[in-house]
Amino acid sequence: MALLLAGLLSVSLAQAQTHTEEQASGETPVTESFSAQQFGDRAPQQLPFDTEKVFVGAEFLNLYTGPGRGYVIDQVVEYGEPLWLLKRRTDWVKVMTRTGKMGWAKIADLDAVYGAAGEQVVVPAPGVDNARDRGVRFGFTYGDFEGANSLGISLGYRFTGNISAELRAAQTIGAYSDSQTYQVALLHKPFPDWRLSPYFMLGTGINITSPNATIVATEDRQDTTMLSGIGVTTNLSRRFALRAEVANHYLLTSRENNQEIVEWKLGFDVFM
Amino acid sequence: METGLRRIHVTLAGLLLAASAPFANIACAQGDETIDEIISPDLERREIREAEIDSEDFEFTVYWGGIMSVEDFGSNRMIGGSLAYHINEDFFMEAAYAQTELGESSYERLSGSAPLLTEDERDLSLYNLSLAWNFLPGEIFILDRWALNSNLYLIGGIGNTSFADEEYFTYNVGVGVRMLTKDWLTLRFDVRDHIFEHEIFGEPVTTNNLSAQLGVSIYF
Repeated sequence: MALLLAGLLSVSLAQAQTHTEEQASGETPVTESFSAQQFGDRAPQQLPFDTEKVFVGAEFLNLYTGPGRGYVIDQVVEYGEPLWLLKRRTDWVKVMTRTGKMGWAKIADLDAVYGAAGEQVVVPAPGVDNARDRGVRFGFTYGDFEGANSLGISLGYRFTGNISAELRAAQTIGAYSDSQTYQVALLHKPFPDWRLSPYFMLGTGINITSPNATIVATEDRQDTTMLSGIGVTTNLSRRFALRAEVANHYLLTSRENNQEIVEWKLGFDVFM
Repeated sequence: METGLRRIHVTLAGLLLAASAPFANIACAQGDETIDEIISPDLERREIREAEIDSEDFEFTVYWGGIMSVEDFGSNRMIGGSLAYHINEDFFMEAAYAQTELGESSYERLSGSAPLLTEDERDLSLYNLSLAWNFLPGEIFILDRWALNSNLYLIGGIGNTSFADEEYFTYNVGVGVRMLTKDWLTLRFDVRDHIFEHEIFGEPVTTNNLSAQLGVSIYF
């Protein structure tokens, strides 16, 4: 009986051993695969200084002649081949192959590349994946500033999903006067995850108004303004959002009455 | 259907139990220490690292040669440049600035009266913010020798034109072609229509002012 048990045990031990060996061979990292070792440590001679070496872990990777889907695929690199990452433009990465040829790979296709130590390497692409990510955004706007046309730029930074700050500058061109506005504003988004996400804005700035010389002969004037507004944004992609806004500019003038101007704006933001 | 599925589950569970029985034997034989090993997951943590890589999303363009025709005021050489940010392979946003001069209007030439504008008032400057769509990417072949990556883009935006001591809100639309000679150096040619309204001749007129510019740009 004891003999039988010992026999069973030894068999199962052997089984376990082969099992673990099989598992290990099934999970050989690409950096230690036959094809990776076949190419050795050779590097192309014209390799630029300070580039990162990775190994292709996908079955194959298409390389295009330019950073776009409209360009020709003129090379393919295979599993285990080394690649050197040169630079990124939009969603594309320029790479050099072991023979010294260069091509562009789509970042979406580069999801299985590994560093020398076997760790997975990802190429960071700009943009936000999550409505709560921090980050810088830059935008252009077109507006109606109480009958006058305005064009503006804004630079924003999101601290949390809800709170962001913005620097805004706009040039307004009207029939009777032109003005430049510079503002700093704080934006609050109560529901950042909504598809159409509303926001509230409070800010302050200055308005420099220059009446058109041909019509009214008055001097330029500079007024401090209080800004309040509401708006709505919608993310079209991880890089791009549309926004619409209505804002109230309250001009603290040196004249008898303060002045209120309502501005409607349409624009887009790009996440950097 | 459901009973069939359940049967498969039961069979699978049975098979798993049978397969793990020998391992369970060993574990019992080796005592408590191994229990920890069994319980703690035997998975290697997946390491993910971000590649350190330079990006080239900005494009700076200098107009190598440009010409702008201002309605009623003739055509003149235009100088300027632009700064673009490439959002993705399809879209880029651009801020541009340019300067040109106005010639004499035909009214001034024919009537022989005093000129409408002074010399200083004939200096025109414009800037605009635009969004462009690379809508036809592909290749341009020049003879047998060169195949250049290229794209055709549609561009449009808003801006400001200033001359004759006035500012004019300006819409611009246009089309352009970009040829990538190196991947950091491109040649651009585009044609724009700058549309604004002015009252220099007494009553408001909407004018279409065409410009064509050849630019050299570098990516950085």
